[in-house]
Formats: sequence, C-alpha cells, structure tokens
Amino acid sequence: MSMRSQVYEWANLAPTGATSALRRATDEDAVTVAINTEYDIFIGGVGNNITKPAETTATQFIVIEDIACTPILGGALQVRINTTDYFQNPDVTDMVGVPGLASPYPRGSASTSLGDDNLLKSFDLYPDIYVLPGQVFQILYSQRTAMTAVNTEVVAAFCKYTLYDGPDALIANKLLELGVTINPNNVDWYKRTLIEQQQRSRVAATANGGV
Amino acid sequence: MSMRSQIYEWDGSRTTGGSVAIAAAQAGSRHSIFIGGYGNNISKPAETTATQFVVVEDVAVTPSAFGVSTSVAAYRGFAAAAQGIAGPRAFIQVRINTTDYFLDPDNVGNDGIPGTASPYPRSINWQPSFSLYPDVYVLPGQVWDALVTFYNSTLFAPLSAFCKYTLYDGPDALIANKLLEMGISINPGNVDWYKRTLIQGQSAVAPMA
Repeated sequence: MSMRSQVYEWANLAPTGATSALRRATDEDAVTVAINTEYDIFIGGVGNNITKPAETTATQFIVIEDIACTPILGGALQVRINTTDYFQNPDVTDMVGVPGLASPYPRGSASTSLGDDNLLKSFDLYPDIYVLPGQVFQILYSQRTAMTAVNTEVVAAFCKYTLYDGPDALIANKLLELGVTINPNNVDWYKRTLIEQQQRSRVAATANGGV
Repeated sequence: MSMRSQIYEWDGSRTTGGSVAIAAAQAGSRHSIFIGGYGNNISKPAETTATQFVVVEDVAVTPSAFGVSTSVAAYRGFAAAAQGIAGPRAFIQVRINTTDYFLDPDNVGNDGIPGTASPYPRSINWQPSFSLYPDVYVLPGQVWDALVTFYNSTLFAPLSAFCKYTLYDGPDALIANKLLEMGISINPGNVDWYKRTLIQGQSAVAPMA
C-alpha cells in the first residue's frame, strides 16, 4: 500500500466555545471566518485541524489532484508550496486562488446558501501539483464576502491527493527527473520496466554461462 | 465465475435480521457496515480466504450540505438543517486488518472519505468529488472493514453506505497476486490479458512438443 488515494475535508466547525479542534465532534458550531483572510485548512486555527503543518518526509511524495471549496461567500482556495503560491495573476501578483464557483464542494451544490441551483466544476487541476520530499504545503481558504453576524454560514474545503511512500516515492522522483507525469499508472509502468530489465539481465547472464 | 463484481449496501435504519437501527447515541463513534451491530449486517467479518483476492473500487456514504447555522428549513432531501448541516455529516474509512487506509497529512488516521465527496446515492444535487484510484487491495487472508462515522446527532437519518468491489477467486486470485508482484494494476482487463499471455505461451510451445 505505498500508493494511496487520500482526501482531506475542512469545515469551519468546532465544539461550542472553541475555534478549532484536532478531532471532529458531534454537533459542532460554525466559527466565523474573517473576510479577505487566508486560513490554512490544516493548521489555520479555525475548524478541524491537524497536529502539524502538512509536509512530506524524505520518503514521501504527494501529488495534489483536486481542490474544491464551498462556492458561497466568494470562497476560494490557494495552494502554497513552502513559501510560493501556486496560482498567480497574469501580472505575477497574488490572487485568492481557485474560486469555489469554478471548483465547487460539494459538487452540485448551490451558488448561494441553501439555494436551488446546481454548480458543476469549470476547473480541473491538471497538470497536478507535486509536493516533493521535504516540502511543506498549505491549502489556504479565503472568502471575499463577509459572514452575517446572526447567521454564521458553514463553509468547507476539500483536497484530494495521492500519497506515494517508500519505494514508490523514489520512483515518483525518478519519473519527475524523466519528465514523465506522476500517476499510479506511470509508477506501475516504471516498476514493470525495472522487472523486465532485471529479467533480461538474468537471461543474458545465463546465456554467458553465469559469468 | 472467478472474477465477480460485488456490492454491499448498508442502511443504518434497517432492522431485519435482529439488528437495531442506528441512533443519535452512536454519533461520533465508528461503526462497521458489516458487523457493527447497527442496520443490516453480515454474519462474520469481511475477510478473504487463501484463494481469494478483493479489490475495493468504490466506497460512498450519505452526503451532507452546508448552509446557514440558524436555518431549519428542509433542504435537498433532508427534513431540516441543524447547525448549518443538512445531512448526517458522515464519513467512511476503509480498514485492512488493523490499518486505516485514509490518513491526514500528519500521518494520523482520519474519519475517511466524507459523504459529501463520495455521495450515496448520487444525484444532480450530490455528485462525487472523489474517485477511489488507485484501488484498495485486500490480499488473501486479510480482514477488511468499512467504518462509518457521523457527527450530526439530530439529523443523521437517512444514513446509508455503499461499497463496490471485485472478488477474484481460485486461479484468478493467483493471477491477481502475480499482477501485484509485477506492479500491474489488478482489474478484470489485466487478469484477462495475463491469461491470454499464458495461453499464447502454451500455444507457441505446443507444436514443438
């Protein structure tokens, strides 16, 4: 199991009186999210968080394949690798990232809170985003419309990635060097190539009398 | 019939066979859809024998919508929304022996796939954001489980889950193991390809014998 499909879901929900929690709990309350502020969905201090920044070890390789967020309130998602934002304006200035209207979560959700329409995705994260061994990555949620003081909306973000671990992470690095797209099929292809090379070497060694 | 497409549907409210319906008290804890004691269950843990190989291709659970925290209106098939969530806020995790398949980026096991990302049933309102690729392999002799967790204790019903898998049995399970050794994805197409390769190899040898 060294190639694993993984997901992470964040929502601005926390136990009553808290702004964030490491574990989800029953019947959590919505936490107010400030306008035009970037929140790391992993360790941003709002909603469900994890214990430490998202990072790859020396033997891991991550390929981010999809990001999506609730389309209400002008929600958007940015990916940051170490200190570099992935999505930029054409003039190379900062931007909020992929709007939830372009990559909605849940898919088929309404463009307004409790609305009736069904949004489809306009955005496909292709090529994928590579997080190399030893890199830190963040997924930053921001919204461009303020929440109302009375009705705090529940907003959420979603990330789908594949985690390559151990030997498969080494192969992923090799594919990167070769300029080949990193996906499970290509990792399998590289493994088969290695096996075939070994078999040919064995046959050649046998033909040469084991010399 | 040594490669068989299989499904398992779990309904938390079903009480046939002597099980009990899932209730608010079970919110926040994990329950096996096979032997969890709630909803429809099977007679023993899901496991593969020495001559079986299972490839889990899809898991899905009841989805939830996000809304306004004070709203109580019916929304998208759910009677009402509580604390901004219409639906059970359910997740499904796959476990092989004692290892959880889905992890957070800090390598800690999480609740699994949100129903919102992999909804069951699917509709215009509920479309998947997630596909289980690469598949999950259950090797011969392993025990596997699908665990549902829900967090909305007031509006958890309906709560159901779905699992699609392919069962390779007998010779096809041996071929599946061989494909695994070779680093080839295990699917019916590749198992057939391997069989054809074996037959072609035999056919090539036969005239010489």
